[in-house]
Amino acid sequence: MEAITLLELNGRVKSTLQFEMPDAYWVQAEISSISPSGQGHCYLELVQKDATGRNFLAKAKANIWRGTWLKLKPYFEAQTGETLKVGMKVLLQVTVTFHEVYGYSLVVQDIDPTYTMGDMARRRKEILEQLEKDGVIGLNRELDIPALPNRIAVISSATAAGWGDFRDQLANNIYGFQFYVKLFPALMQGDDVERSVIQALNAVAMRRDDFDVVIIIRGGGAVSELSCFDSYNLAFNIANFPLPVITGIGHERDDTVADVVAHTKVKTPTAAAEFIINKVFDTASELESLTRRMSDSITDRMNAENVRIERLSQKLPSLFAVLKTRQEQILETIWIRSVNGVRNLLTAQTHKLELVDKTLAAADPAVILKRGYSLTRQNGHVVKGASALKKGDRLTTVFADGSVESEII
Amino acid sequence: MKYEEAMKRLEEIVSRIEENKMDIDQIGESLKEARDLIKFCKDKLYKTDEEIKKILESED
Repeated sequence: MEAITLLELNGRVKSTLQFEMPDAYWVQAEISSISPSGQGHCYLELVQKDATGRNFLAKAKANIWRGTWLKLKPYFEAQTGETLKVGMKVLLQVTVTFHEVYGYSLVVQDIDPTYTMGDMARRRKEILEQLEKDGVIGLNRELDIPALPNRIAVISSATAAGWGDFRDQLANNIYGFQFYVKLFPALMQGDDVERSVIQALNAVAMRRDDFDVVIIIRGGGAVSELSCFDSYNLAFNIANFPLPVITGIGHERDDTVADVVAHTKVKTPTAAAEFIINKVFDTASELESLTRRMSDSITDRMNAENVRIERLSQKLPSLFAVLKTRQEQILETIWIRSVNGVRNLLTAQTHKLELVDKTLAAADPAVILKRGYSLTRQNGHVVKGASALKKGDRLTTVFADGSVESEII
Repeated sequence: MKYEEAMKRLEEIVSRIEENKMDIDQIGESLKEARDLIKFCKDKLYKTDEEIKKILESED
């Protein structure tokens, strides 16, 4: 039996590979580890997982040599807005190599960013569908931003330029509106964004009554690393948040999942500040217009009342004159009627008196005696008939001019 | 009182005056109330509320 050395064996493997697989291949894989080296190379570990995502079906080391890495890195980042990182699906053009000491590995020649973007978009879509299915996707959008949103909780990194821009923009607003801003610091880049932002949201939620809105902002950079905002957990927290959430995470591409579930999405921290200022401006305008309406309507009302009073006071003298005339007429009528009444009464009384007078006059005995009648008395009593008299009675006969005694014979 | 409530009340008063639903005696009173409300709103918009500042500066 002929034995060969390990070096000889590895050498054969190496030359077989070189002979059999001389071409470059486009390979789909997921990055399971990535470490840039001090020399400017980049070492990757690529894997393929099964459908459950738990078991590896294949695994390989891959190297991006310095010259290639210097070109691919900025190209990939410009196209996707992301840095290459663990968990990312990539489409790489590789050649296969074998080194007697280091073994099998791939050498990366090129990368196709559209594959990664497609994968991110697909994942975004899946997350959105899940949020939709869970019935939370529109929850935050249903909240009303209060009329005066001037107590603002900001979730950002304390060192981010965007946070400073936002604060300055609010503080220097030309209208002189007052804003109260509190920062809840969170990591806005890297693998911990999801956990850190959720933690900050929880801190705001603990004091929800102190704030009107929440704003998630960060400064834009060459590499935006937006995929951390394509997170189901983060989106779920934003969607369910009790205050309106405004995102200004600085990007040009399609909305992240966080943007979609937020109440309002703007592009930059400065735009977020403008949005808030405009809201307050609308409110201030409304107050102005109410104030104007108030004074206008009161002026109108007062004018109308003045006109009314004026008209009334003009009418008053003539109304009074009419009233006076009418009253005078009534008095006159009453006067005339009373005078006539009294006059008629007097006339009637006079007639009555005259009648009585005449009757009385006619009944006077002296007058009757004068007309030739006489009055006969016996013992001082008036004799009214002959039957009561007898022979020998003495009678006194009274005439108008005197009386005589006589005896019945 | 909240800003929103103040605005709502103000809107109510203005509408009632505009619709002539108020007699002159009431207008005087409402005008006073409206002035107070407007001042309240303006203060909220333009003046620093030390109490809010204090609340926000306090740690959790």
